[in-house]
Amino acid sequence: MKVLMFGWEFPPHIAGGLGTACYGLTRGLAVNGVDVAFVMPKASGDEDQSLIKIINASDVEVDPRFSPFFQQGGETTYIQVNSQMIPYVGLDDYYNVINQIDSGVFISGNKRRYEFSGRYGNNLMQEVDRYAEVAAEIAKHEQFDVIHAHDWLTYKAGIAAKKVSGKPLVVHIHATEYDRSGEHNINDIVYGLERYGMSEADMVCAVSDLTRRIVIEKYHIPAEKVVTLHNAVVPNDKTVEREKNVKEKIVTFLGRVTFQKGPEYFVETAKKVLDKDPNVRFVLAGDGDMMPRIIERVAELGISDRFHFTGFLRGTDIDKMFGMSDVYVMPSISEPFGISPLEAMRANVPVVISKQSGVAEVLQYAIKVDFWDIDATADAIYGLLHYPALSKLFISKGKEEVDNLKWENVARKLKDIYTKVVNRS
Amino acid sequence: MHNICFHFHISQPFRLRTYRFFDINQHHQYFDDYQNSYLANRLAERCYLPANAMLKELIAKYGDKVKVSFSIAGSSIHLFQQYCPEVIESFKELIATKKVEITGNTYTHSLASLHNKTCFMEQVKLQEKLLKEVFKVRPTSFCNTEIIYSDEIGEWLHEAGYDVVLTEGARHILGWKSPCYLYCNPFQTDLKLMLRSYRLCDDITLRFEEKDWDGMGLTAEKYINNLNKIPDDAPFINLYFDYETIGEYHTADTGIFDFFKALFSQLAENDKYKFITPKEITSMKVPCSTMHAPWPISYSGDEKDTAEWLGNDLQQEAFNQLFKLENLYKKSKNKVAKENWLQLQAADHFNFMSTKWFAHDSVRRNFDVYPSPYQAFINFMNVLNDVKLQLETNPEKKA
Repeated sequence: MKVLMFGWEFPPHIAGGLGTACYGLTRGLAVNGVDVAFVMPKASGDEDQSLIKIINASDVEVDPRFSPFFQQGGETTYIQVNSQMIPYVGLDDYYNVINQIDSGVFISGNKRRYEFSGRYGNNLMQEVDRYAEVAAEIAKHEQFDVIHAHDWLTYKAGIAAKKVSGKPLVVHIHATEYDRSGEHNINDIVYGLERYGMSEADMVCAVSDLTRRIVIEKYHIPAEKVVTLHNAVVPNDKTVEREKNVKEKIVTFLGRVTFQKGPEYFVETAKKVLDKDPNVRFVLAGDGDMMPRIIERVAELGISDRFHFTGFLRGTDIDKMFGMSDVYVMPSISEPFGISPLEAMRANVPVVISKQSGVAEVLQYAIKVDFWDIDATADAIYGLLHYPALSKLFISKGKEEVDNLKWENVARKLKDIYTKVVNRS
Repeated sequence: MHNICFHFHISQPFRLRTYRFFDINQHHQYFDDYQNSYLANRLAERCYLPANAMLKELIAKYGDKVKVSFSIAGSSIHLFQQYCPEVIESFKELIATKKVEITGNTYTHSLASLHNKTCFMEQVKLQEKLLKEVFKVRPTSFCNTEIIYSDEIGEWLHEAGYDVVLTEGARHILGWKSPCYLYCNPFQTDLKLMLRSYRLCDDITLRFEEKDWDGMGLTAEKYINNLNKIPDDAPFINLYFDYETIGEYHTADTGIFDFFKALFSQLAENDKYKFITPKEITSMKVPCSTMHAPWPISYSGDEKDTAEWLGNDLQQEAFNQLFKLENLYKKSKNKVAKENWLQLQAADHFNFMSTKWFAHDSVRRNFDVYPSPYQAFINFMNVLNDVKLQLETNPEKKA
C-alpha cells in the first residue's frame, strides 16, 4: 500500500498541531507497512526522513500549459501543440507573470518552479492554487494507491491528484472554519474549499466525534462517509526534568493566543485563584492576535506580578515549560482535537481541559470543564494545587493513559480505511 | 420449610452543592437544598409512599404471615422530616402493625466502621437515639452501611448489645458453604450472622427488566420456582434490597409493584415459606458454623469488598483527611459543624469519587451529580476544609 499525502507543514518547522499530527501519523503508517510520500509546500531539508519520503513542492517543475483548471463540473486541460506561441495570456496568467519576481516563480523554458513560503501569509490562496498545480504534476509521476490530504489548504492539491490519477482521495479534518473563526465569522472562501474537498473525497476522517458532528451538520456530508480518527501522541523517550526556579506553584496555558483557544478565560480564572491564594504563578506561553487585549486585561485586574508571558515557545523550551508547570490548562472554546494536553500529561503535568475539545473524548485522567465556566476551572486548578492526592493520581495514571494512545493504532485504523476506499474504486 | 427474611435499606444522604474553594470560610451552606428536596420527594412519590401502602395492604390481608424489616439511615430520616414528613408518618403506621422491624444502622450512612471503633460507635449511638425519638424503637439487630462487616465490626456491635447482624453472603468468604444457614462471629459466638443470598437479590435488582426469563419478564412464579430449588434443609433465605428498587430503579410501569405484591402473597400462602424478621432469629436456631471475615466485606460488585468507596487514592485521601478530624470533633462546641462532619462520612460521597468502572453505568451511580470523580473529590475536599475551620471555631464564644 502506497499513499501520496499532502500536508502543509512538518516538524521541526511548525506553527501548530497539524505538523505534529502529520509526523505521528506518517510514522505510524510506516510501522504498519504503508509507504508514505509526503508532499509539503516548503521542506527545509532537516525533516526526519527515516521512515517516509518527503517531496518538496518548491522543487517540482510544472508546465503551466498543462495545469488543470478547476471549474464547476470538471477540468479543462490545455493540450500542448508543438509551438512556441501561447495564444492568450489571461488576466490571471498576466498577473502571475507580473508577480513572478516578488513571489518567486522561476521559469526555465516552458517549465517553472514555485517557491512556496509554506506559511499562513497574505498570498495563502495563491499558494493553495499553485500547490494544486504542483500536485497534479507529482501525481503524474509518482506511483501510489490512495491520496490523503490534510486540511483545506491541501484539498485542491488532493483533488488535482485525484483527477490526474483516478485514485481515491481521503481528506483529513484537523480543524474546520467553525473552530477557527466561530459561528459568525466564517470565511466563505475557506468554507467553500473545505466543503469542496469533503464532497470530492471518497472518505472523510475527522479528529474527534466533535469535529465529525460539525462535518455532518455544518458541511452536510453524509454521515456514513465521515469517520472519527482520534489523534495520538509520539512517545517521548527523554524524561522531562522537573526544574523550578520559583517556590510558587505554576499554572500554564500553552497555545496560540487567539479567540479559538480561549486565553481570556485563562486570565479570568487566574484572578479567581489569586484572590484566594497568592502563592501561584500563571504563565501564558504563546502568541497571537489577542495578545494586546490579554495584556491589557491582566493589567486591569492588577495581577501582573503573578501573570507572566513567554511569547511563542518551541522544542526544548516547551519541555522546560512543562518541567516547571504544576497544572496545564486548555480552555479552548472549540478544539477539534488538541494535542498539547497529551504532551503535558506525558511530561507528568496534570491537565484541566475544556469539554469543547476532541481530546476530552479520549482522556479519563483529566478534569473536564466548560470553557466558559471560570468558577469550575478555578476550582479544578485549586483542587489540583491543594489536594495532592489528586495530582498524584493524575501523574501516575495520566502518563500511562497517554502512552497507550499510539499512532500505530491510529494508523492501523487508517490503513483499514485506505483498503476500503481502494477496493471500492 | 424456609424462613424468608425480606430487608430493605434506605440510605439517601444529604447531597452536597457545588462548593468552590473561594467559598471556604465565606459561607457554610454545603447542601444542595433543591436537589435534596427534589430527590426526597421524587423517591417518596415513586417508591416510599406507594411501597409502604402496598406493604400495609399485604400485612392487613395476611396478618402474621407477612413481615419485613427496614434499616433507615439517620440522614434519610432527617431528609424526610425536612422535605416530606408524610414518609415518616407512613413508616410509623407500618411499625404500629408490629409486623415491621427497624434494625440498627449508622446515623449518616457512614463508612466509620472502616475507620475505628469510636467513630463507628458514635454513629451507632446517635442512630439509636434518633430511632427512639422518631419511631420509639430500640433495635437489637444491625445492618451496617452497605452491609459492611468484618470480625472486628461484629465484636464492636456485640459489645454495643446487638444480637444479629445482616451482611453479605460473600462467596470468597463462604467458599463451598451456603448463605442459607445461620452463622456466627468466630470470637463472639453469641453474635449471629444472617447472610444475603445475593444471586437471588440481583435477579430482582439487576435483572428484573431483562427479557431472558424464558422469553418474558420475571414473574413471581418464576422467582418462587428458583427459591424452590434451594435444598429443603436450608433454613434461611435472606433477601436484602435497596428500598428504591421498588419504584425507582425499576419504575412502576415495569410492573415491579405487582411483582412484589404477587411474590409476597404467594409466599404467604405457601406453607413451605415463613416470613421472619432478624430479631426472631435470636430465639430460633443455633448457628451451624462460624464465619470468619478478617477483612471487611460489603455488597459491592463481584468482589464484595470496599473498593467502591476506598478503591483509589482520592477516596483514601478524602477518607483519611475526614477521620483525622475525630479529635477536633470530640472537642468542638460547634454543633452545626459537628453534624456536618458526620454527614460527610456518607458512603455516597466516596462512591462519587470512584474510578473503578469509568464507563460503567451502575445502579449505584444513579444519583451522581458530578461530571467526574475528580470534581466530586475537589468539591468534597473544599467542604471538608471549611468544616474543619468551623469545628475549630466556637460560635457561642464569638457571639
